[in-house]
Amino acid sequence: MSEQLTLYLYKIELALAEANAPYKACQVDLFNKPEWFATKVNPVGKVPVVTYGGPNVDPDDPSPLSVKIAESNVILEFLADLYPDSGLLPKDPVLRAKVRFFVNATNKHFEEPWCAFVYGREPYDNVLKGIEFIQGLLEEGRDFAVGDHYTIADACISPLLVRLKIVTETDLGKFPVGMGNQLGEELKGPKYAKFVKYVQRILERPSLKQTHDKESEITFLKTIFPERVR
Amino acid sequence: MSEQLTLYLYKNSPYCEKIELALAEANVPYKAYQIDIWNKPEWFATNVNPVSGKVPVVTYGGPNVDPDDPSPLSAKVAESNVILEFLADVYPDSGLLPKDPVLRAKVRFFVNAATKHLEEPCYAFVQWREPYDNALKGIEFIQGLLEEDGDFAVGDHYTIADASISPLLARLKIVIETDIGKFPVGMGYKLGEELKGPKYAKFMKYVQRILERPSLKKTHDEESAIAFFKTIFTERAQ
Repeated sequence: MSEQLTLYLYKIELALAEANAPYKACQVDLFNKPEWFATKVNPVGKVPVVTYGGPNVDPDDPSPLSVKIAESNVILEFLADLYPDSGLLPKDPVLRAKVRFFVNATNKHFEEPWCAFVYGREPYDNVLKGIEFIQGLLEEGRDFAVGDHYTIADACISPLLVRLKIVTETDLGKFPVGMGNQLGEELKGPKYAKFVKYVQRILERPSLKQTHDKESEITFLKTIFPERVR
Repeated sequence: MSEQLTLYLYKNSPYCEKIELALAEANVPYKAYQIDIWNKPEWFATNVNPVSGKVPVVTYGGPNVDPDDPSPLSAKVAESNVILEFLADVYPDSGLLPKDPVLRAKVRFFVNAATKHLEEPCYAFVQWREPYDNALKGIEFIQGLLEEDGDFAVGDHYTIADASISPLLARLKIVIETDIGKFPVGMGYKLGEELKGPKYAKFMKYVQRILERPSLKKTHDEESAIAFFKTIFTERAQ
């Protein structure tokens, strides 16, 4: 499973945890996909995918009667529709637009430059610009990205923040040695204080601690970037 | 409930066109204000879109003022796909998004697919960053999502899925009919020939129906789009 994919999966786990929505999880080994996955769940073969409705079957025996929904951001919106009182999206249209703008900004300004940096395609300058842009959208001293409740905006950015913390601490990535740590140093400056405070609050959330296993994530990164392991 | 709605747009922008189409199909009254993006008025960046300074932007609510005197009391919404969702929220009976969560997911998946699999490779081809192979793959992918003989991308009503892909289809038509673009001479015509094959019949039928809609004919000025393309694609690759 590539590094990028785990980010997409993780968003969904967080949203489900925060919405208190009951669900069955089924791990799919993408390097060794079971045949039934492509034929019965997602012909494009990707994760995450949710199946919804249909008979109550075991996840490895999916029913043709369930609906299949793919694409992490589409799934987040779907969960917000299914659980309208979960707060995953606010009820007010203007606030909903703010949440969506934040999600869009996360994908465009943060996720793309982040992946480019981690895979050694670009230096971290655009990551810092993206962080500044996101920071500009955050409200001072607030626990959440938008408004006063956990939304899909927080779910969407959290996996990236987890990964940012690990990479800056462990320096695991394809970038030149030391660049990960250096990015971490830059982020300690006053310029990024509001962002870093938000990151801290997000990383303290029980839903995150529940779904995230730091050790196994580090191990996973070590397998993706073996040349970094000394 | 009749809050004011003002759309700030640039007439040749396909992103702005998405919004115009959605508003037309939803029958929503609104004020339109043209912004010359090469010569933006100062008040636009400060009072309307301080975050990115781009169009399209809508202002919603607040007092009924002239568009060139925007009020700080109106909500400002930017980013074309965010605006489309906003309109669907503000006009829930317009059909811009269905009520059923599963159909809504289908619409959103289509919008996502149109951006990722079609828009990006098409613009990359026209700007000659790549040949049209990925555009054709994208067309096949989109075609796979379309229902046979449906008038619309999803379900039986015009949705933000149709609004989101239409401006691209209108420009694809221009490229294959006029061969205007940065790609080597003839590549545009060649793409057009490929699209005439039976392999893409379902897609082309959908394109035809979308391009015949009165909302598109009213919104999309083909002459002006062609003229605009000619100004941006002055050099051709060899």
